[in-house]
Amino acid sequence: MYLKLAWRNIWRNKRRTLITLSSILFAVVCALFIESIERGSHDLTVENMTRFHTGYLQVQDFRFEDEPSLDNSFYYDPEFFGSIEENVEGIEFTVPRIDGFMLAAGEELTRPAMVLGILPGREQRLNGLVDRLVEGRFFNEGESTAVVSQGLASRLNVAVGDTLVLLGQGRFGMSAAGKYYISGIVKLPLREMDNQTIYLSISEAQWLLSAEGYITSLLITPESAAQVNILAEALSQIFEGTEYRVLTWREMMPELIEALEFDKAGTRMFMAILYVVIGFGIFGTILTMTLERLREFGILLSVGMKRMKLAAVVFIETLLISILGVLSGFGLGLFLIIYFNINPITIGGDGAEYMLDMGFDPILPTAIAPDIFFYQGSVVFLITLVISLYPSFKILRLNIIEAAKK
Amino acid sequence: MAILQTKNLSKVYNPDTVPVHALRDVSITIDKGEFTSIVGPSGSGKTTLLNMLGGLDKPTSGSVWVNGEEITSMKESKLIDFRLHNIGFVFQHYNLIPVFTAHENVSFIMLLQNRSKKEIRERADDLLEQVGLGDRKNARPVQMSGGQQQRVAVARALASEPKFILADEPTANLDSTSAMNLLDIMNKMNREQNVTFVFSTHDQRVIDRARRVITMVDGAIHKDEYRDVEETAEN
Ligand SMILES: Nc1ncnc2c1ncn2[C@@H]1O[C@H](COP(=O)(O)OP(=O)(O)OP(=O)(O)O)[C@@H](O)[C@H]1O
Ligand SMILES: [Mg+2]
Repeated sequence: MYLKLAWRNIWRNKRRTLITLSSILFAVVCALFIESIERGSHDLTVENMTRFHTGYLQVQDFRFEDEPSLDNSFYYDPEFFGSIEENVEGIEFTVPRIDGFMLAAGEELTRPAMVLGILPGREQRLNGLVDRLVEGRFFNEGESTAVVSQGLASRLNVAVGDTLVLLGQGRFGMSAAGKYYISGIVKLPLREMDNQTIYLSISEAQWLLSAEGYITSLLITPESAAQVNILAEALSQIFEGTEYRVLTWREMMPELIEALEFDKAGTRMFMAILYVVIGFGIFGTILTMTLERLREFGILLSVGMKRMKLAAVVFIETLLISILGVLSGFGLGLFLIIYFNINPITIGGDGAEYMLDMGFDPILPTAIAPDIFFYQGSVVFLITLVISLYPSFKILRLNIIEAAKK
Repeated sequence: MAILQTKNLSKVYNPDTVPVHALRDVSITIDKGEFTSIVGPSGSGKTTLLNMLGGLDKPTSGSVWVNGEEITSMKESKLIDFRLHNIGFVFQHYNLIPVFTAHENVSFIMLLQNRSKKEIRERADDLLEQVGLGDRKNARPVQMSGGQQQRVAVARALASEPKFILADEPTANLDSTSAMNLLDIMNKMNREQNVTFVFSTHDQRVIDRARRVITMVDGAIHKDEYRDVEETAEN
């Protein structure tokens, strides 16, 4: 009967309950959606950065981090690294790369470029590079053609079929110069990379840079992203006493982590404001409800209902509304998140430019992560719970005579 | 036997600012089975006295005894329980829980007393019959007239089998037919079941039905008279 009392009280003023309910629902949906978009876009950025740029884990010469030059490249011993790939638990595959800065010249324009020597098959497996061709075709390993990123191609004003001259310095100051037929144009998701990357096959690049057999980095793809740290630990142990060193993507991109943290802090600020606003909204309806019912509370206490009991019944009322609100928020939130995960929001115009400048893709996919539901659900629920304490608190201190006069 | 007794009861509101002497040295004794009306001009202290009798408010000095127990010094949690088992209340208006039906309103107080489901149901049925609302059991307060609501309130007050029932102007918001009807019911329960009623009123026709009339003036007992009344005048 107490539950009946609580339940009927909830529906006694439908409008008020619906207002409270929809405030909670709105809060939950907003919070879920915002956080899942943030998480989604961050994940995407990290994924792009790791897949195209650093990899989740990278093996380097121990001097390379301080002085990223070809002089600090290392010999890619197929036997040694092959056995590591075979024997270390959690490695899915490895991707060797050699990179160096050179000058790239087209017919009339010259630009600095990052020349990346790669194994197309491995890159394809890592980041689907071959599928990102917008024109022409990729080279096979050993072939002497170049694939140019779209941004750089347009800066150099070159196209498939044109010839590209690369000029620079190889290993140990050897001069490096080569002429390459452009076989393909590729669109890279990271603007900075798209504006300066030229792909050559790894053996071709090694030859060009006088670094036969050498690479600057070996990217290691773990079987799951969650294993990065464990794997890094294991590899560090293996590399102990050698000149190899393993770095995680977090160690390689501290600026990115910082930017993401900064972005997160902004979102958190916004959420805090959202919570406060909605919290006050809910408090307002609960407050009116309490004041309207003071007389009824007074009568119940007069006839002999214990304060704690009455406080509990009224608390259960708001509790039920909260649960209902949070659950329906989960429902709607999940629907929206799944929908926008399949059909990500694409930002156009100035917003897109801004995003690109910041190094992010102008699309906002949502992340479907249970911990977001758990976290945001708990926060909203906790807020309403605290608010729900108000009527109970009021009941515990209510002056019966005053209340019955109302 | 004295079921209700006050000894030198006084109440002063706002003692520090503008003292209002709502009760001055009130000593009364009410026996089981009495049908007592408290009358007097507005502001004479009727409500204050009833609140003291019901243990809803504390006196400034003096004491209230119910069935030989002093309630003025009881702790509030004990007092709530004491009220639940010993005192029935009928207020002037909006007595009932709006989301409950008549039957549930009457049942609820017995639920608070932890009675068995079966007993609660049967007793609520019976009491509603007695107040003439056997056919309105499932009506909610908003679906009932003021007189019907007050009858439910009387049934609820009786449900807990209290030592006495306090009613502060129970007919104030009723038209005269409903008022007399309510009085008839109270009267009948008083005669047939020996239920003790103490009620305040302004209404002369209600006063005429009381066997004992305590008149208050300015917080003090002015007159206390027992009378013979012809039972159930209107019926
Ligand atoms: N909470 C309070 N604070 C201050 N004064 C009060 C309070 N309650 C009652 N009074 C005063 O105490 C006196 C008695 O009030 P009470 O309500 O008992 O009168 P009453 O006889 O019931 O009047 P009515 O017939 O109008 O209901 C009045 O002067 C009133 O103003
Ligand atoms: Mg009064």
